[in-house]
Amino acid sequence: MSTSLTARTDTASTASLDEFDRTTSRWGQLTMIAGLIISLAGPMYLVIFGNLDVATSQLWTAFAAVAGTFFVIWLVEPLTYFPILGPAAMYQAFMIGNISNKLLPSALVAQTNIGAKPGTKRGDLAAVMAICGAAAVHLTSLLVFVGLLGTWLISVIPEDLIAVARLYVLPAVMGAVIVQAIVSMKQLRPTLIAFGVVLVVQFVLLPLVPALSMMSTAISVIGTIFIAWFARRRTSDVVA
Amino acid sequence: MTPLALPLDGSSTDILAVANSPVLWICGLGVFAVIIIQSVIYMRAARKAAPAAGMTQDELKTSFRSGAIAAIGPSLAVVLVAVALLALFGTPAVLVRIGLIGSAAYETGAANVSATTMGAALGGDTYTQQVFAVAFFAMSLGGAMWMLATLVFTPILKRGGHKLAKVNPAIMTVVPAAALLAAFISLGTAELPKSAAHVVTLLSAAAVMGLCVFLSRKLGKNWLREWGLGFAILAGLTVAYFAHGAGLSPVA
Repeated sequence: MSTSLTARTDTASTASLDEFDRTTSRWGQLTMIAGLIISLAGPMYLVIFGNLDVATSQLWTAFAAVAGTFFVIWLVEPLTYFPILGPAAMYQAFMIGNISNKLLPSALVAQTNIGAKPGTKRGDLAAVMAICGAAAVHLTSLLVFVGLLGTWLISVIPEDLIAVARLYVLPAVMGAVIVQAIVSMKQLRPTLIAFGVVLVVQFVLLPLVPALSMMSTAISVIGTIFIAWFARRRTSDVVA
Repeated sequence: MTPLALPLDGSSTDILAVANSPVLWICGLGVFAVIIIQSVIYMRAARKAAPAAGMTQDELKTSFRSGAIAAIGPSLAVVLVAVALLALFGTPAVLVRIGLIGSAAYETGAANVSATTMGAALGGDTYTQQVFAVAFFAMSLGGAMWMLATLVFTPILKRGGHKLAKVNPAIMTVVPAAALLAAFISLGTAELPKSAAHVVTLLSAAAVMGLCVFLSRKLGKNWLREWGLGFAILAGLTVAYFAHGAGLSPVA
């Protein structure tokens, strides 16, 4: 079969690698654009046909607040993951989601198992196949355990339990995520600065200027970035 | 009845009536279909290119299998978190936003930030169908920005190597850490004034997460860390149930 490499000329292998690049970037982009549009179609439908009296200004205000909070992450994550995933897998990863906790470990395990280095062609192909495998498992378990079982579970759980879950799931998620973020970032200075800035915004700034409460998280994020940047360790020693 | 317009009333708090509507289900399953199509195209392309990259068909299979097996634990951990969020967002939104494109932390964060701009809080009496629609819109558009950044940056990075990521190592470490920490600490802190039950819920979830991280390091069990978020949310909700029953709930 086609496993004997030596028989192949350089031009032939370059050509077939080029074809892989072309196919994955063309179809990767097309499928990602399709995913982007379909994922927006649901909320657009609700807003337009839902009779919910949603004003356009409400939508943009909400989005501005979300953007103020997360714009740095939008820009930084693709830059961070590119060297490990390679161009082809980028279009998979940012649609399948849960990159750092699921897809990266899958890609790294696959690369280790076949002895491929990240950043090489072998590494890229291993990452692509690993992510396909991860996607197969993930889509199946989501459909079965969340789509079918989860929906059923919600329909049989007593209403007052659902109400409690709805009311308190947010502080539960945030409590856990704060600890997770502190542990995985491992940066004491930005952590302390973030706590300081948030406390000042929440308990000094907001009582003085209540109108800012709509944007309080975005203000805290931008403030923390500035202070953390100017207060960073200037020594060029290795950052952990 | 008209096929498209929903018989809704923006001020109702019956979120699931909107959130589980058939059109949202169709859109949600549409995203699943797109990922399946993408995977099939990619696997066929990889099979063709493998020999040229010095990879055997067996190695391709091994990669697929390793990826699948490595994903089982993390996937089920995501499932647990997703189920806990069903009451808040309904099945289709949870499948697409928490299960796929985004993650529990970002999406609940985005939804909460959006609700705040409308003077509402997720999950409470002010969490109306209208607030849900705006929050769902804003979190989806936020998720679209990740994809947009990927679509813009990938071709650039491919051409210019990794130069962009190497501008200044400090930018790539300090700035994202600051942004991430500030976002979640701010979102968490904003929960505290709501009621004593919110305070104990947040603290017990944080404690369980901390315990999971500590034990996973101490015992060298990585899965404990993966499952930490799910365990912490369940523990938080259990504590919330008793605190709520004990009269620590927000005043109605």
